[in-house]
This record gives sequence, C-alpha cells and structure tokens, in this order.
Amino acid sequence: MIHSVDTILSLVLLSTLFSLGSSRLPGLIKVIAFQGVVVSIVPLFIGHVISAGAIVFTLATLIIRGVVIPLCIYLAIKKVAIRREVEPIVGYHASLLAGLALIVAAAFAGRYFDAPTLSDSALLLPTAITVLVGGMFLLIARRNAIAMVLGYIMMENGIYLVGTTFSARAQHIVEFGILLDVLAGVMIMAVILQNIKQTFDDVDTALLRTLKE
Amino acid sequence: MVELAFLIPLITGIAAFFLSRQHGRILLMATGAAHLLVSALLWLNRPTALFSAYFAVTPEGLLSLLVISLLFFLISIYTTAYLEAADIQRERMFTGSMLLFLATMTMVTLSDHIIVMWIAIEATTLASAPLIYTHRSAAALEATWKYVLICSVGIAMALLGSVLITVSMDVGQVDAAVSFSALTAVARQLDPSWLKAGFIFILVGYGTKMGLAPMHTWLPDAHSEAPSPASALLSGVLLNCAYLGIFKTNKIMVAAGLEDFSGIILIVFGLISIMAAATYILKQTEYKRLLAYSSIENMGIIAFGTGVGGLGAYGAMICLIHHSLIKSSLFLTSGNILLGCGSRLIADTGNLIKRMPKTFVALFGGFTGISGFPPLGIFIGELFIIMAAFRAGRYVGAAFFLLSLGVIFAGFANHIMKISFAGSADVAPAPENACMIWPQYVLLLTSVILCFWMPDSLYDTIMQAVTVSGGGF
Repeated sequence: MIHSVDTILSLVLLSTLFSLGSSRLPGLIKVIAFQGVVVSIVPLFIGHVISAGAIVFTLATLIIRGVVIPLCIYLAIKKVAIRREVEPIVGYHASLLAGLALIVAAAFAGRYFDAPTLSDSALLLPTAITVLVGGMFLLIARRNAIAMVLGYIMMENGIYLVGTTFSARAQHIVEFGILLDVLAGVMIMAVILQNIKQTFDDVDTALLRTLKE
Repeated sequence: MVELAFLIPLITGIAAFFLSRQHGRILLMATGAAHLLVSALLWLNRPTALFSAYFAVTPEGLLSLLVISLLFFLISIYTTAYLEAADIQRERMFTGSMLLFLATMTMVTLSDHIIVMWIAIEATTLASAPLIYTHRSAAALEATWKYVLICSVGIAMALLGSVLITVSMDVGQVDAAVSFSALTAVARQLDPSWLKAGFIFILVGYGTKMGLAPMHTWLPDAHSEAPSPASALLSGVLLNCAYLGIFKTNKIMVAAGLEDFSGIILIVFGLISIMAAATYILKQTEYKRLLAYSSIENMGIIAFGTGVGGLGAYGAMICLIHHSLIKSSLFLTSGNILLGCGSRLIADTGNLIKRMPKTFVALFGGFTGISGFPPLGIFIGELFIIMAAFRAGRYVGAAFFLLSLGVIFAGFANHIMKISFAGSADVAPAPENACMIWPQYVLLLTSVILCFWMPDSLYDTIMQAVTVSGGGF
C-alpha cells in the first residue's frame, strides 16, 4: 500500500543521498534546507487530527528548519568567504555507496520494530534511521567545520522525524522548546565558526587538534 | 514560587548584558543571595509548581538545587574579586552568561517533564559556551567548539532516548503524563524493549554531558580553558545536572524491574571512566586538567554506585554532594594559583606553601577531601559503594574500582606535592585576596561538617531520593 506520506518521505531519503554526494558548501546548505522543509510538513500527512495549533506549529517549524537555520549557516560562510569545499575524509562516491547501504540496512532494521503508530507507512522508520545515521556520517566523514554543523542539523531532522511521527503525546509548547534550543545551538555554532575563521584563517577541523590528554 | 527559582536569574541574566561592570558584579552577588533564599524556602516548604505538568519539586532535584545555590553564592563572591584581578574582556558577557547558566541549571533540577529536562540540559550547554570562550585564545576557541559540538550531538542522543521512552508508552498503551514522576508510577506497564533502548540513548546522551568515558573528551579542554569560577560551576554543578537526568531515568528502569539491565550498563561506564581517569591523571602536566580528570573519576564513581544500587545508591548521593563542594573549591583555588604563578603548567608552580600559604591550605584541604581520606565525605561514600558492590557479588568490578582509586590517589598526590613543596625555597609571597580564600574555606568546611553532622531533613531527603531506586541500608 502506498501512503501519501511515503511520497514525501522518499524525498527526504533522496535529500540524504544528495547531501552525502555534494562537494560544495552552498549546495549542501540548500539540500539541508530542502530536507528541513520536507521533514517539517510530514506531521500534516500523518493521521493526527489537524488543529489550528498544529498548523501554526508546523509553519513555525518550517520557517525555522527550512529558512532561518540554513540562512544562519549561509550568512556565516558568506561573511567569512571561505573555501567552499567540504573536505571529505571519506570520498563522495564511497559516501554515496555508504548512504545506499544505509537505506537498505534501515529498511531491514525497520521491519524488526513493532511500533503501532507505524502501520500506515512503510517508509517512516527507515527514513528516520537513514536521516539520523546519515547526519552522523556527515559529522564524522567531513573535516570542514561547517559541514559538521550541517551534519548535526541533519541529525536533529532525523530525531524530529522520529519524535513527531511516533508519538502524538508531546505538546506543542514542548516541541517549540526543542526547536528553540536547536536554533540557539546552531546560532552559537555559527558564531564559533566565524571566530574559528578569524583565528585560524580556515575552518578545517584538523587545525583544532592542539588540546590533548 | 517554584518557577521563581529560575525566573530570577533568567531576568537578571538578561539585564546583566546591559549593565556596567560595577553594577553587573553587584547584580551577580545579589542574584546569588536571592537564589539561595528561594532555594532554602523551597527546601523548607516543598510547594507544588504552578505548571505542574512540566515542573516539580523532587527530593533529588532539591538536593542538587541546594548545592547549586550554595555554590553559586560563594562563587559569585569569589568572581567579583577574580574579575578585578584577572582583567577579563567583555565582562558583561561573562556575568550575563553566568546568570543564564544558573537559570538553566536550576530549571534542570526542577523539571519533571522528560522533554523539558532535555531542553533545560541543552540550554545549559548553550549558556555556558560563552563562559569557556572568555579568554578568546585559539585554545579556548577549540575547547568551546569541541564542547558545543560534542555535547550538542551527545544530548541529541538523549532527545532520541526521551522520544523512545514515549514510544514505549504508546506500545504499552499507557495513558499518563510524560513526566518522570508519572512514568515511575506506571513503569511496569511500559514496553520493556523500547524502554531499554530509550535508557541506553539517554545514558549515552547525558553521559556525554556528565563526562563519562569514552564520551568525556570535551571535559578536560573545557574545564582547563574556562576561567576558574566558570570551571568551578561546570565541574561542581553542571555535571550533577546531567547526572540527574540519568538518575531519574534509572529510577524508571528500577521501577519497571529492569535494574539488572540498567545497573550493569552504569557499572561498565562508571568503571571505564574511573580507569580512563587513572590512566590520564598520572601524566598530567597542567593542574586544571588534573582536576578535570579527577571530576571524570568522581562521575565514574557516582555512576558505578548508582549501578550497584542499594547502599551504593546512597553512597553515590554522598559522593555527589561532597564532590560538588570540594571540587568547586579546588577549581577556585586553581584560579588563585593561576593568578599567582601566571601559568597553567604544574612545572611552573611549586613551593606554594611559602608563596601563597592561605591558598595552600585550601588546595591541600581540597586534595585530602577529594582523594578520599578517612573520615571525610568522599571516603564515606566510596566505602558504602564498595560495601554495596561486595554485597551484590560484583567482586571483579569492586577490584577494578579499588585498583583505579589507588592509582589515582598516587598520581594526584604526586602532582599536589610538586605544586605545594617542590621548587626553589626563596620565593616572594604573592598577595592573597580574602574574597578569593574564604569561599573555598566555607565550601571545604561545609563538606567537613556534613561528614560529622548531617541534619535530619538532609538525611531524609537523600533517603527519599534513593529509596525508589532500591537505595538505602
């Protein structure tokens, strides 16, 4: 059975693959922004009753995840005009292959969990796992500090997907708190990025290895 | 009333960003005093919160809150003198962040809703990041970057864990509030496998913040690069806040009858932390990093004690309180040494007994307390934990525990002796400000007094906190 939400979720899966394959920072930011937009409208297509509060909250999520956070990062890199490569530790083709393997593994893993709210969508759990682990992969496999922040944002997208779709219990005010924390976190990271650039003249995290033991 | 405890520092914290240096310092002290007053009132009255779905006054939260309040008040006195001596740029940023940090930590101790707890713990990371970057050096920048990134990613895991616990409610078809107290009451109906998964993610997540090895890598950097009053707060109370998240989740696990599962994981993480600290303490060259590794050791001890359960849970609480008091005093003392000797290297210090006799007393007193000399608090706590480990038949764990403690004591003592007595005999005494000595003395004295005379209400509160998780005698 193909559920309408599965169509949207497949877009999320695609965006994950794109993010693993993109070599330029502006491109990567656009992919993450797209993913943020898609992820934040998923709750509208899951069987919950749509209330006015839910729509307002979805809009707020969409604006923060899809516009404000990517813009924050974009302004950070624009201001410091750094080299716009993501400096991979694992190459792009290998990353893409890992992403595909990840989707397959997530699809297999998803079948072993029995979550009652999942029955109407086949892709929900695999997508959530893929985005989460894909974000972590980006975090580990790129040396560029900005790409690492983007990986963190992707991870948060994955957790959001798990959160809103699995459980209808969380109140909007609480979810808004999470969103605010993520936003503030990204803003602080952006400030640190600018300082890293000013101090080291680069955002390669290989430079950040003086403190040891 | 309950919410006032974090609203006061929140408002004054925002105000501090707009005030002049002098006013900011006064505000810092005044807020510390007001916060102590509110905490004492909460302790005496134990009211229900206005937003009771999100906040509650719990025994373990109250213990942490009182420690935070007392520490912050004393640290704020120290800070006013330290800011005068240390010449910190952008002082408004520093005082404002200190107050916001206090507000977020208070919120952690009072939150009852699982997700609100997460929000508050993540907010502590964000509020304390500017504190670590105060010195604006390349090393401070690196420490801040590591701190924010590692802790944010780690705490994201805890968010996933919290979500998985709500899933365990869905699967078990439980209709209750998503709060620690409500879930502990209905723990047996929760789906055990999702609950276990949730616990693991929460332990890894908050464990990162608490400084459990192998997720501890940010801790020595952040603690050594932050200015000493901030390090004292980070080590003395921030780690406790993260522990509170683990403690409360463990309570749900115990109530659900899964204490064997959660216990063994806590024991393993605890032992890894203690052993990692033992390895790194021996070859430390900087005294602030030495103290940071000692914090990792103590967090390991606390996790181990919680995992063992029974008497060990009580011992862990004792260790938690005494570690906060003693370690914050040691970090404040390290600030004096830094100002007096102008270097963070152990090799550049020496003969502290001649150079700064009053600081020496604070350093040596703190050392005897933290390394577990009988009959001081940490000793009592560790003794209870070891007894509990033997009672539970965890002989191998107890053996590793004792061995590591021995190694840590030897390494720590070696470094402290160097700082105190080694080096040239003819050094000029450095000036010592009374405001930068007495807070340490008061902290150490409180710890000593608590070893011999514990007020009944304190004892009762500790027992209330640990009985649910199978604690007590």
